[in-house]
Amino acid sequence: MSKQILKELPDLVHAEVIDEATAQRIRAYYLQQSAQSSNRLFIVFGILGALLVGMGIVLIVAHNWDSLPKRIKLAIGFLPLLIGQVTAAYVIIRKMEEKAWKEGTGVFLFFAIAISISIISQVYHIEGDLDGFLFIWMCLALPIVYVLRSAVTSMLYVIGITWYACEVGYLENSDRYALAYWILLALILPFFYLEYLQTSLKNNFYYLLSWLLAASVTICLGVFVDDSEMTIVIAYMSLFSAFVIMSRMRLFETNRVLTNAFLVIGSFGIITLLLMLSFDWFWDELKQREVIFGQPEITVAAILTMLASYLLFQLLKHHQWNTINTKSYAFIVFIPLFFVGTELPVLAQLITNLLILLFAIYTIRDGAQRNHLGILNYGLMIITGLIFCRFFDTDFSFVFRGLLFIGVGIGFFAANYYMIQKRKKQA
Amino acid sequence: MKKFIFILFGVMCLAQWIVPGKMIYDSERILEEGTVYKFKTAPIDPSDPFRGKYITLNFEQNFITFTDSLEWSTGQEIFVTFTGDSAGYAVPERAFHEQPQSKTYLRTNVEYVNYYGDNYKVQFRLPFDRLYLEESKASEAEKVYWQAQQDSAQATYALVSIGDGQAVLKDVIINDKPIHDIINELNKDPE
Repeated sequence: MSKQILKELPDLVHAEVIDEATAQRIRAYYLQQSAQSSNRLFIVFGILGALLVGMGIVLIVAHNWDSLPKRIKLAIGFLPLLIGQVTAAYVIIRKMEEKAWKEGTGVFLFFAIAISISIISQVYHIEGDLDGFLFIWMCLALPIVYVLRSAVTSMLYVIGITWYACEVGYLENSDRYALAYWILLALILPFFYLEYLQTSLKNNFYYLLSWLLAASVTICLGVFVDDSEMTIVIAYMSLFSAFVIMSRMRLFETNRVLTNAFLVIGSFGIITLLLMLSFDWFWDELKQREVIFGQPEITVAAILTMLASYLLFQLLKHHQWNTINTKSYAFIVFIPLFFVGTELPVLAQLITNLLILLFAIYTIRDGAQRNHLGILNYGLMIITGLIFCRFFDTDFSFVFRGLLFIGVGIGFFAANYYMIQKRKKQA
Repeated sequence: MKKFIFILFGVMCLAQWIVPGKMIYDSERILEEGTVYKFKTAPIDPSDPFRGKYITLNFEQNFITFTDSLEWSTGQEIFVTFTGDSAGYAVPERAFHEQPQSKTYLRTNVEYVNYYGDNYKVQFRLPFDRLYLEESKASEAEKVYWQAQQDSAQATYALVSIGDGQAVLKDVIINDKPIHDIINELNKDPE
């Protein structure tokens, strides 16, 4: 596209559509654009290259060369670490301003640590559980993030600690609540704050890291499930509400919906959770079980509810209560609903269904007001989801259910048609 | 700020050498100073995404029986000392809640506690059930191992050095021959 314009510039000057000075400015503009884009490519290939080389060496080491003496094997295993550290020193002294160098070296060093630990395990046949291996690896990799200020290393670190938490919390049961994970997670947050939130830098690295952080916490919160397992839903509802509230705060705001991980995960989480709770099985089981206070689920739920309340309080200082996303209030409505459900399961189920409908209508209205087709269709999807769920567990006749689906289908068509027409008129 | 980065970098580099270095040092010390036991052992052939192919060994002597539960529970730390039976194979001698006086003990975890008759069987983990092998040799080693297991006349055991709570697997021996040598011979003149 840009090249085409550049080719036509002499003709445009000749036809006196633009003058020579403008033509020069256009040339300069596209020259700068192409320099930026090649720099971005360099960063991407730097990271990819380091990732592939690092993982390749891991695989070669995993072959376990029996014919090599122990000392040589160990020396080879430590060589990538040495190269990684020397390169890192060079980057700190000379190339700290160049992102491709920082990211590439960070990623390479990240894998070099794994290689050095792996080779020792092989040579001495140290069994070592995968969780222990991941734990040592992540502990040794954390400083790389701060020293090189490498965003990709921080992402690999978040993936690593999440894997670790799943190993110990869900599979092994060795560290019951994956406490080490929460500490390791807290240790990466200063980087997230200093690098992105404090500087208001919202680039692709920020989007990816925020997606990973939000997903990691969502995945790992379940490790707290113990004897009072039903109460974990309160913790999840408060967490998702906190995400939705955060997404509206200036610190976390982004220009597009999909780049705001907290908004997407929070909103989608609340709706998914409510849809799950719109079935009778949850409430029937809740009535039969006792809510045991003092269990970890309750403690975590209390902490997250306090956090969500604090964030909501802060948000309402700067915004009118009715101008923020209604899902920000989900936890306030849900907690009393949960305790109603312990006594009156049918009523709780009915209110849950109404709540979903309410959120759907609000979302559709929000989409229409903001002239955003994505949000509008998301609202319609919520209604479809609700009807789909009821399809399975209600005594409605086939005709009634059929009519419901036709109704929603027409709704989809009409709402989108209305919106597109509105846009055309505005144009 | 730059000074702080340099200090952090130095600490990071040191830690990245000290932690694996300590692993090497501990393993070498156990190999040199530890007591060597022969553990009767059956392998399968899984692999680890980072550390490659290995064979897993199944040990027989991984439990100790008590007449009293002594409050053992799953996951709990346990200190075990070993002795040799009449054929020279290792058998667990005693188990402790605290670190014992003896230098040759193994520090591990209780896998489960089983109550039968008047006895409590406390099964513990033997943390040396992996023998890493070159990729191409692992499945061959497994075959050799299984053949040896099926033939009751063949003696199969692992040589393990134990000291100060830790253990290092030295080798797997089939009929007085290290498994590596058997595979190498098989590779030289295939049947």
